[in-house]
Amino acid sequence: MTKTATGTLEKRSFIGPLLAFPVTFWLLLTFAAPFAVLTLLSLHEYPDPFGPIIQPPSAAQFASIFGDEFLVRIIIETLLLGAGVTALTVLLGYPLALWLVRLPLKWRPLAFAVILIPLLTNVVVRSLGIVLLLAPDGLINQVLSVFGIPPFRQMLYTHGAVALALAQVFMPFMVLALYDVLQGTSPRVHEAAESLGASRTIRVFLVDLPLSLPGLRAGIIIVFLMASTAYVSATLLGGKKVWTTGMLVWQEALQNLNAPMAAALALVMTLASTVFALLVIGITRKLTPWKSGAPGSSRSVPGWLLRILDLFGPVIGKLLLASSLLLLLLPLVLVMIQSFNDVPQATVAGFRAFTLKWYDRVLFGGAYAASFWISVQLAAATAVLAIGLALPAAFALSRHRFRGLMALSAFWTLPLSLPHVAIGVGMLKLLQAFTAIPPFLGMLAVHVVLVLPFSIALLQASVEQLDKAQEDAAASLGASALSRFLWVIMPGLAPGLVAAGIMSFLISFGEVTVTSFLTTARMTTLPVRIYAEASFSLEPTVHAVSAILIVVTVLLLMILNRLVRLDRLYAR
Amino acid sequence: MTTTRRQIGRLLLGAGLAAPVHFTRTAVAQPKAGDELVVGVWGGAQERIVREHVEKALLAKYPGVKVSYVLGGTPERRARAYAERGRPSFDVIYLNIFESRQAVKDGVTQAPTDAVPQFANLYDVAKLGGYGVAFNPVTIVYDKRKASKPVTSWQDLWNPEWRGRIAWPSYPGAQGTAALLMAAKIFGGSENAIDIGFRKIRELKPFAAIQGSQDQLYGMFDQGVADISVEFGSFTRSYAETRNPNIEIANPVEGQAIAMNVACITVGTRNQKLAEEWVNLHLSAPCMLAYAQQIYYSPTVKNIAIPADLQPKLVLGPDVAKLVDFDWDVVIRNQPAWTSRFNREIAG
Repeated sequence: MTKTATGTLEKRSFIGPLLAFPVTFWLLLTFAAPFAVLTLLSLHEYPDPFGPIIQPPSAAQFASIFGDEFLVRIIIETLLLGAGVTALTVLLGYPLALWLVRLPLKWRPLAFAVILIPLLTNVVVRSLGIVLLLAPDGLINQVLSVFGIPPFRQMLYTHGAVALALAQVFMPFMVLALYDVLQGTSPRVHEAAESLGASRTIRVFLVDLPLSLPGLRAGIIIVFLMASTAYVSATLLGGKKVWTTGMLVWQEALQNLNAPMAAALALVMTLASTVFALLVIGITRKLTPWKSGAPGSSRSVPGWLLRILDLFGPVIGKLLLASSLLLLLLPLVLVMIQSFNDVPQATVAGFRAFTLKWYDRVLFGGAYAASFWISVQLAAATAVLAIGLALPAAFALSRHRFRGLMALSAFWTLPLSLPHVAIGVGMLKLLQAFTAIPPFLGMLAVHVVLVLPFSIALLQASVEQLDKAQEDAAASLGASALSRFLWVIMPGLAPGLVAAGIMSFLISFGEVTVTSFLTTARMTTLPVRIYAEASFSLEPTVHAVSAILIVVTVLLLMILNRLVRLDRLYAR
Repeated sequence: MTTTRRQIGRLLLGAGLAAPVHFTRTAVAQPKAGDELVVGVWGGAQERIVREHVEKALLAKYPGVKVSYVLGGTPERRARAYAERGRPSFDVIYLNIFESRQAVKDGVTQAPTDAVPQFANLYDVAKLGGYGVAFNPVTIVYDKRKASKPVTSWQDLWNPEWRGRIAWPSYPGAQGTAALLMAAKIFGGSENAIDIGFRKIRELKPFAAIQGSQDQLYGMFDQGVADISVEFGSFTRSYAETRNPNIEIANPVEGQAIAMNVACITVGTRNQKLAEEWVNLHLSAPCMLAYAQQIYYSPTVKNIAIPADLQPKLVLGPDVAKLVDFDWDVVIRNQPAWTSRFNREIAG
């Protein structure tokens, strides 16, 4: 087996680079320029908004970052926050993914929608939910008071609050990354484990967990990179007591017009998180020797650990599942109530009077409806294009490795590890060139860049999960490469494609940071409109938008469920 | 740091010297059908008001022209206008008081002229760095149930009864800037002697929170996280009236700190006349009244009759003279240094 694999590798060594080409070409076309601008800016000695881009290089910005205790502390804190959020997301997301996989098929669209709720609601709404949860008179303290436990008054505006908020919104990424690989595990494997006397809990830890490592890897990298560049949630729930590098980049770039400092900070952060991503990739490869065909060594787990797992595993698993479902449903409850609430600001908690005017404004208000459609078109086009580019890349990564691919894949991940504000700053310098392109195409090009790292990561895990034996069987029966791709590979990838498609759509649909730099008079996307409103005072229209989105998503998923199987029955 | 400041200073000087060139007015082409005016403005209520009370009037006067909006927050809008200096995609942008004056010095936007007829009726303070379109002063807002006596002075923030209950506004930003400058001023400092301001604010720690926007502050009031802050009085009044009657807007003896929305015409606009007409319509009675009635923004022109019931809620006539103004050149020049200090000493 190994021999034939290497044999094909040598014979067809051009396939890998060929598959890697589309993504690389796209990024060189649309992302390399702003990234180069950013690098040049970081080498400026002092900020000069109107000076030339190319100046004698200076390390002054980097020197002032590393010479500044405060900045170094924030960078470290941000990385730790990213790690904490990632850990929390794994803890809450894993039970959720297991639950999703065990759910009867007809309930899955609904369950998917539940998981996507945080992505369908505006960040302000989500933050409000967390505030209501953690406030001195909030939900947690009210529950505690029932048990006579004195309230915790200092839960808001802490790193914990920010981490919780970020875990909530990044959970969908983790769950979707895990879902595909978890449900791809053949029931025969489970039966084998059972016949060897493994309880359900033990099976989860000793069988499902190792087999889901590729999905976990994708989830961890995505969540960590997003968490370490986040700044809106950090601002809203950290109350400026919590600082992240993303916030500093935003402040330097926009409020102080100090682009060089912003660029340098962004690059330092990117470097640090790329190192983290490579580390995760390396570790998963070590932990999954069977993927590369290397012989695995047997490991044994001490008996006392198994007994502890068996004893506490089910209870803790259920508790975690309940907490993550609560966390996911919290914004839903708020949205449903607030979208009918007759109050002037979206952030007001508490029902005052019933009204339909927010729905009226969204659906018939002209400006809102127009922005809504622009966003839908943009997101749909982005999702299709991104998947088209990411799928070959995913095959290159999992089946046709070649020298230099690791470096290339780090380049593909760059748009995710770079704070979006920084990409915006880079784009600002290219605005003249950008505005020469038709606005929809320009925006599409940039959105695809932002979405690519996600779709590549998700699809790579799916491709790795494909059952190669089925393809070999088809080939032995005389199926051509094309028909193997169409009738064996594509159906096998369907769940992964759906997950990546939904993700890409939602990321593009919600993107505001970069888009708000590029938006023109003719193309105002919905999030930009909402963000602009928030810059004055956010109205409950935003809740109506979220409510409509959630309902539409449920419907779409139900239809989708009729057309495409959301699981891999073929594996059984 | 010294290099940075020197360089910025030189830049300002250069831009200042170059500036008059932009304002030598040549014959301005009349607007014609098909012309498009691009306006950069905040969203929500503000967008609705200008669409209703400025755009419609403009289109009535110049049939066939089109108005397009680029919506967003001030920082993004300003960053874009700077990136596009001289070749703007905007014709009119709305900025805050200090950003607008800096933008004129940097050659990004035009100084105001009497080509806008309502210019003659502007208060003097609204004639700098563009056309002031709304006063929106910053003051102390607080939960009156938690106050032993009404707040009448900026000094009251240092009353021990508020310890641990203050949501200090983040700096930079209109509210945070006003709060810092007022703190310096009432303790004998000024924009040129800011140190005392920082030291006195530090005395107030620990804060209940640092608030980054009016919406965030209202959430804090709702949830009982904080009881007092420094905020725009205008929209806080809407909040108090519609949602939280316990919130009081103070009128300190030292005066409220000035803050202002400013309409700025970009340098290099191809729709000079249309832009001036736009600004003039913004400064006309219907728009000024809509702002006053809907969000309690006070007019910046003297020739507007305000209904009697609205008058006590606005800053009018002699009250405008009482607004505390600052040397915004000094403020903007020091912003990076003060930001850095605020992050480290007050917020972090």
